[in-house]
Amino acid sequence: MFGIKKFLFGEGPNENLPADVKAAVVAWQGLELAGLESSHHLTRYVIVDIATTGANAETDQVTAIAATVMHQGVASPAQSIYIDLSAATDDIAVDRQLAAFLQFIGKSPLVSYHVVFVSAFLEQLLKKRLGINFQPRWVDLTWLLPAMFSEVHHKPMPLDDWLLAFGLDLGDGRRSPCENNLLLARLLQMLVVRAHAKGVYTVDELIEESKASSHLRRTH
Amino acid sequence: MDVNQVEAMLREEGLHRAAGNTMTFLRKHAPFNKMSAEALQRFGEKAHIAFYPAGSLIVGPDSGNVRFFYLIESGKVQARQAGEVTVTEYSILSLGAGESFPIGAVTAGRPSTNIYTAVEDTFCYHLPAEDFLLLMSSSPEFNLFCTQYIASLLDQSRRQLQAQFAQKASEQQTLNSPLVGIGTREPISVLPETPLRSVLETMSLKGIGSMVVADPEKKPVGIFTRSDLLDRVVLAGLELTSPISSAMSSSPFMLSEHATAYDAMLAMATHGIRHVLVTDHAGCLTGVVSERDLFALQRVGLRQIRQAIEAAPDVEALQHSAADVRQLSFNMLAQGIGAEQLTQFISALNDALTRRVIQLNLEKHDFSGIDWAWLAFGSEGRDEQTFSTDQDNGIVFVVPEGESQDALKQRFLAFALDTNKDLDKVGFPLCKGNIMASNPEWCMTLDEWRSQFSKWIRTPEPTALLNATIFFDFRPLFGKSELADAMRRHLLAQAAATPIFLQAMARNALDVSPPLGKIRDFLTDLEPDHPGKIDLKKYGSRIFVDVARIYALAVGVHGTNTGQRLRMSAQKMNIKGDEINAILDGLNFIQLLRLQHQYLEGEPGRQGDNLIDPEKLNELDRRILKESFRQARKIQSRLKLDYQVNH
Repeated sequence: MFGIKKFLFGEGPNENLPADVKAAVVAWQGLELAGLESSHHLTRYVIVDIATTGANAETDQVTAIAATVMHQGVASPAQSIYIDLSAATDDIAVDRQLAAFLQFIGKSPLVSYHVVFVSAFLEQLLKKRLGINFQPRWVDLTWLLPAMFSEVHHKPMPLDDWLLAFGLDLGDGRRSPCENNLLLARLLQMLVVRAHAKGVYTVDELIEESKASSHLRRTH
Repeated sequence: MDVNQVEAMLREEGLHRAAGNTMTFLRKHAPFNKMSAEALQRFGEKAHIAFYPAGSLIVGPDSGNVRFFYLIESGKVQARQAGEVTVTEYSILSLGAGESFPIGAVTAGRPSTNIYTAVEDTFCYHLPAEDFLLLMSSSPEFNLFCTQYIASLLDQSRRQLQAQFAQKASEQQTLNSPLVGIGTREPISVLPETPLRSVLETMSLKGIGSMVVADPEKKPVGIFTRSDLLDRVVLAGLELTSPISSAMSSSPFMLSEHATAYDAMLAMATHGIRHVLVTDHAGCLTGVVSERDLFALQRVGLRQIRQAIEAAPDVEALQHSAADVRQLSFNMLAQGIGAEQLTQFISALNDALTRRVIQLNLEKHDFSGIDWAWLAFGSEGRDEQTFSTDQDNGIVFVVPEGESQDALKQRFLAFALDTNKDLDKVGFPLCKGNIMASNPEWCMTLDEWRSQFSKWIRTPEPTALLNATIFFDFRPLFGKSELADAMRRHLLAQAAATPIFLQAMARNALDVSPPLGKIRDFLTDLEPDHPGKIDLKKYGSRIFVDVARIYALAVGVHGTNTGQRLRMSAQKMNIKGDEINAILDGLNFIQLLRLQHQYLEGEPGRQGDNLIDPEKLNELDRRILKESFRQARKIQSRLKLDYQVNH
């Protein structure tokens, strides 16, 4: 049964999880936030994207999660993870995969496009499955790209438009979250170089910049 | 499965999918589009993606040994030559998506000679060097691509050299430069009677490491170096008032001003010396060239390799040195060094390797008090080794009075077997024809060798003639060289006295003609198993080698090297100075093509073949090759005439 504190504050993990999953979740919760003040080059950024059955986090399902690390300027396939939830029938297996996902991302800052969308689904899923309140630090490229590359476009625009503007290969048809991540990784690589040139040296400053841009561009 | 195992599995899946993304890119670009899915998967899994903003340096000579093979995904990269030596035709080259760099440097594991800069925002795949090399060894398509790329650079570099010679205006020094422009000019020298103290003071004052000792006419009589100071002065307890002549190394090695840097380098490798004195036409000192001066030209560790060989404690260490020799040879080939110098150079270092292997084995086999020598035959005997040469060796010995010949032979065979095996480990494959010292047939006493030679000469049946082409090109590599001299005197005396033998040799040598067509430029259908190809050894270099051997035997030339033999026999062949040079150029060009083909197209570590497709040569090379074959035909017709062979 849920303790009242857990129920109210979502400090999980769920009581019915297998021991190894629970241990992994507790270990993840106990991790320190990494690299708040380190440079972009030294920061381990994790780019995250998901696939879903629809746009409503309350009613639709996450069918896949992909994550790729960008560290010391490079993104490497060897530092990637892919979770296919579309065929998942075994709940415990799903829980374990999500725990592995937490273990992979650690407390690194996460990067995505349309964080509002991605984070809502992940929050919902991790709350439901593992009983945790998932509030990582997010870097939202949606708002950062127009802030850093205002000469290209000064307002948010669809991801493909950014890719086209930078001459990156859009790929054929629909992209999987993994393919999308690799394109986001390239955008992030360009973005941190630009950010550094603009005096935005740390992760924290980048997140601040992202928030400020969101505020500025939503309200004006 | 617990969480960790699941994470590993999910990473596996992530790796697989992310690699797939890279593979999609690779499939759009040559040579990757021709590579197997397996090779692309490996590339995809190992390559990182990195971003270089416009204007940033990607890799350059100061970045150290190249760690990655860079493949441009998007953007533009400029390659600029660093330093003073222009190796290629271009000085600035622009690279775009699907192009890669720096292939030569990553293959050789050295720093890049070019500066690569992103001129636009650029994304590059980084394939780590070790994965690049693995890919090269596992994917034939990728291997071909990389080697052809290097070959195209070579081609450019050779043409560049030719252009430089044509202009004769280049100030750039290469190993082809005459010594007159290299090293110390007008060096200080002292008279032989100068007291040691005064010499040492001068050396210290001027900060020089060596002093030439010359007579009043400036003709060098000796050299004194800092290393002599320890052995010949300090340890020998020599008074500083003694004349320098008592401490110097006398009869220093000298070369004319017109000799090239290669010659100096070869001399250093052959004689194990560090300085070569340069003299003018009158033999007067005009310069000193040190190993360091040559390094500046060459940037290779010649001395390090030689020292490493001489100090190698075991066969393992020699394996590394052998790899270094190969690399050095390749660098020299890549710099456009001539075939004659290059093969002699390889031979000199291979000799050092072989000697060290012999020395190491002598620690287990004692032959003190016995006169014997290790002999090299065939191409090794002629100083014409290419990159990968089989062992061809034998032993000659003299049985001391009162010793059993059989027992001694058994001891030599045991020693030879160990040595042959070790040589194989060091990279000289065992001879398929078993022409090795461990074969009882080729481990003989001096008298047995002499009578074997006589037998072949007196009865020139096919096997005897074949053996003559291998065994008569012998050279002592280790031990008592007088034994080999005795063999040579016997051989030359017998051969000159037996015209029928030389005639048989001539007939044999004329069995094969150069592949020149009456209508087409080349005959490429001589080898049924290799249509479209020419065997450059069988129809090319061997013709020169065979003709040179016959004349050398006829004239009594002691040397075994084909170039040497031809020069020495020129008079007998009734060929004038300029003409002999044209013949040698022909031979050298064919050898150069063989070397390039073996190194660039053969599988690493395996004996390359000599089959080339003339269609694949560029117009210039085809024309030179045709002319080279004409030279072969010319010396054959000379031979035909002299020995009255009617085919």
